[in-house]
Amino acid sequence: MKLKDKVLIIEDEQSISHFISTILSANNYDTLIAEDGAEARSMISSHCPDLILLDLGLPDMDGMDILREVRAWSNMPIIVVSARTHERDKVEALDAGADDYIEKPFGTSELLARIRAAIRHTRTPLKNGGIAQDGQFSVGGLTIDYDKHHVLIDGRDAHLTLNEFKIVALLGKYAGKVLTYDSIIREIWGPKAKADNQLLRVNMANIRRKLEKNPAAPEYIFTEIGVGYRMRDEDEADDAKRADED
Amino acid sequence: MKQEFRVSRPVRDAALTAALLSAATLLCSLMMRVAEGESYVGFVYVLAVVFVSRWTEGYVWGILASFFGVVCVNYVFTFPYWEINFLMTGYPLTFVTLLAVSVVVSTMTTQIKRQERERLQGEREAIRADLLRAMSHDIRTPLTSIVGNTAAVLEDTGTLSEEQKRALLRDVNEDAQWLIRMVENILSVTRMHGGEGEIVKDYEAPEEIIDAAARKFAKRFPHTEVLLEAPEEVLMVPMDAMLIQQVLLNLMENAVIHGGASRIRIHVGREGSTACFAVSDNGCGLPPERLATAFDALATAHRGRSDRKKNMGIGLSVCRGIIKAHGGTVTAENRPEGGACFRFALPLQEDGNGRNDEGETRYEAEGQGADY
Repeated sequence: MKLKDKVLIIEDEQSISHFISTILSANNYDTLIAEDGAEARSMISSHCPDLILLDLGLPDMDGMDILREVRAWSNMPIIVVSARTHERDKVEALDAGADDYIEKPFGTSELLARIRAAIRHTRTPLKNGGIAQDGQFSVGGLTIDYDKHHVLIDGRDAHLTLNEFKIVALLGKYAGKVLTYDSIIREIWGPKAKADNQLLRVNMANIRRKLEKNPAAPEYIFTEIGVGYRMRDEDEADDAKRADED
Repeated sequence: MKQEFRVSRPVRDAALTAALLSAATLLCSLMMRVAEGESYVGFVYVLAVVFVSRWTEGYVWGILASFFGVVCVNYVFTFPYWEINFLMTGYPLTFVTLLAVSVVVSTMTTQIKRQERERLQGEREAIRADLLRAMSHDIRTPLTSIVGNTAAVLEDTGTLSEEQKRALLRDVNEDAQWLIRMVENILSVTRMHGGEGEIVKDYEAPEEIIDAAARKFAKRFPHTEVLLEAPEEVLMVPMDAMLIQQVLLNLMENAVIHGGASRIRIHVGREGSTACFAVSDNGCGLPPERLATAFDALATAHRGRSDRKKNMGIGLSVCRGIIKAHGGTVTAENRPEGGACFRFALPLQEDGNGRNDEGETRYEAEGQGADY
């Protein structure tokens, strides 16, 4: 029998934690519920959950504090659940080390897909197993060759410029995860680079035109408005299929 | 991160003043060669002063122009030429006239600008008040239905069949979804009115926005086919991406909920100095009498109870509010081949915060020809 994954739900609204817990139990997860920050702290250290669902608005402290505390000593996957609609909060949470975020109100299939993806990413060594094995990352018709520094699309060289390649390579390394605009800019143009979203956006617009069949409906690189970019994950198609069945 | 293309105001005003006065001086010297006398010289300068006062900010440039005009009239264009003659008849009168014209025009201009700002403010207030009224009118019905349906299931003593219970819960789910959409629109309105009523714009690639909107839409309406088309050229459009995404979502949801559409097409292209977004569907289109008031929340609210689920007025009036705040235009039309087409155009150049220098917002509905 497969060992059940343990999910800690940190959420002060009982109606929400109750429904999440019901859904997760029905889908073969063990669930724990913490209603405030203090309780969450003790449960994290005593139960060592496989994943944390963290609501940012807690009665006794800012959820961001818990996020930072846990990140100081552990890589356990954390998904931030946020009712805040401003992108700033999502960016802040991702930059502080959250694996993903999910916005209230969310559907059950979306929640389950995010949880599966976050657990899978943490269990894959070296961020991306494929790259570690043969220096390549592939998804659909897209192949990033980290050794030869080029990107193939359906077997043909996409002729990316150096910066374009660096951006695609970075997204591929963290495929499935949202990388914030600032973190991409810092990585590509250096830590001292002035945050220039427009330069990044123009680069992305060019990349899309080289990689995607229809730049308006991309298959490989998605935009999270106001937050950043995300490369498609190998298992995303499977996830979507499973989500439909759920 | 915002790019500043604009020259600072005083520099612009100084250049404008210099240009207008040079033009006046040039015109006078040309006319002196062909016409007898010099009676027109004063009028030419009056005209220049009028324009300077109208197009510059405050009184300073108009008054400076008046002084310059008076000196020119006296020194250059009246006998004895190239000499100042303070004893010239009518000299004080010329001076007072020019000064008065400048002060009066500047005052009027400032007043017009202020009234324009107040009108805009009033319009925004009106949009907000309209929305509140329309929403409080509409929000009670789904809430009543949720309370009623859930109570029916909870208090059931075994008389309801499994199928009946599911039907009741489905209604609850639908009503809750409707409330969520409503709240998202309210959030967009508060986001717009959050700061000092100004929105924060950033340069965005339109294909990113339509794709993100389409993916969000697909979560709610997985069975609607959405076709997306972006231009080959890289366009960067100043906008608040979350708000424009809300506009697209509202338009797409309208197409499905009110038009019964099964296919939606979003096309973005450059049209002159704007990026034009067109959302067209294969639904039943808008009733002709609704075309004119499609963007008016109250017009729908007044249509009565039977129309609750069809309250497209709220979504559309939020759309109009957002586009207006971007300095854009929005129109609705029925396509000859069936279905509705909503278009909105956003200016490609940043011009302050959706306003041009005169503090005006362009929002008149424009009929643009269909490109398909």
